[in-house]
Amino acid sequence: MAHWFHRNPLKATAPVSFNYYGVAGSPAANKICNDLRMTRARLLEMFTDVTCTPEIMKNATDAYFSLLQGFIVSLDGTTQENKMRFMQNFKWTDTLQGNSPSAQQDAVFELVSMAFNVAIWYTKFASRLAGKENISEAEAKDVHRSLKVAAGIFKMLKEVHIPRLITPAEKGRDLEPRVLDTYLIQCQAEAQEVTIARAIELKHNATLIAALAFETAIFYQKADHTLNTLEPECSSKWRKYLQLKQHFYMAYAFCYHGQTLLASDKCGEAIRSLQEAEKCYSRAEALCKEYRQTKGPGTTAKPSEQLFFLKLGGLIKNTLEKCQRENGFIYFHKVPAEAPQLELKASYGLAEPIAFELPALSEQCTPEVYATFDLTKGAKNDKAKAKEEEVRPVKEPDLKPQKDTGCVVS
Amino acid sequence: PSIPEGIPSDSKTNKDGVLVDEFGLPQIPAT
Repeated sequence: MAHWFHRNPLKATAPVSFNYYGVAGSPAANKICNDLRMTRARLLEMFTDVTCTPEIMKNATDAYFSLLQGFIVSLDGTTQENKMRFMQNFKWTDTLQGNSPSAQQDAVFELVSMAFNVAIWYTKFASRLAGKENISEAEAKDVHRSLKVAAGIFKMLKEVHIPRLITPAEKGRDLEPRVLDTYLIQCQAEAQEVTIARAIELKHNATLIAALAFETAIFYQKADHTLNTLEPECSSKWRKYLQLKQHFYMAYAFCYHGQTLLASDKCGEAIRSLQEAEKCYSRAEALCKEYRQTKGPGTTAKPSEQLFFLKLGGLIKNTLEKCQRENGFIYFHKVPAEAPQLELKASYGLAEPIAFELPALSEQCTPEVYATFDLTKGAKNDKAKAKEEEVRPVKEPDLKPQKDTGCVVS
Repeated sequence: PSIPEGIPSDSKTNKDGVLVDEFGLPQIPAT
């Protein structure tokens, strides 16, 4: 399903030369700096290369991070900070803040910013793959897995690396907890969307689908609430997307819950549940329009044009009519005034983040080579520095929409 | 090394011991 997922832009960064003019006091130290420059540039290229696969991305990420850790972990056998950690200034834009970059002279800031972009890439890869015509089961697994990998990266950054930063992130920046949490929850919810589509295709029972849809709607609600204290100009569009998905999956939950109720001869309650599904569905339709009209960062998804969206409208209508017919000549139940309280717990299909592990430290980064970096010999080259610090926006490849097949992922 | 039991596959079990696929759905749809 092309245009099913909302995606914010990638982060942009200024090039870094890792030229330390005299500080790198040995050929091996110089090689580390050269390799850092090259592996960083390659990784940045991969973000916008449409032919890049998760395997290529992993190799490019590992190549850079295995070297970058040589500027972060302690290499001289002491518990003190790595002397190279605060050597280089890194500039990164934020996904919600346009082209005004944040900057920190800290290799940990570089690690978290780059890893954040890797996670964003995985979500974009998943979105691109999900947009393919006639998606296979293997591809659906890749979409599901990529979203869980991205979730794992956000989780690791939140729990392990961001707390190590000396300067906390400002409001609305990517590394602050609200923004990070929203990305993490969105990834899990979207992975569960893939599972819901599969559960429907494989005709799993209505109780299972209702519970998973309900929990997914709650995830979207939580993600939306997490953003509600941010500036509207950067968060409104994203929030509309999260809200429309929340109502859409709540409609799913009430629809399938209605089917469960009908199967257990609670026809009046089933009708009420389906009426509630209809209400949530109409709200989701309205939110799709509002979302499209709201200005803000990111690509504009078009969920209401997708078969997966449209099919639900038909399913609710048909199921409601069926319930009303049966109530008219079999059950004669009174339809309750209150909608059923959904307290459904999903036993199947909840998406757990895949733990992200940093690669081992590069073999080039030995204590002996580390000792040849001499910070006292650093001479600044202001001319070169000024030239390098410009942050250019990332030119992201256009995603061409393809024919909608209604999301068959089984 | 010990002899591996069974044939490697995508199958695994959830916390309740039910056989599930890679998406965490039961292997046998229970409709």
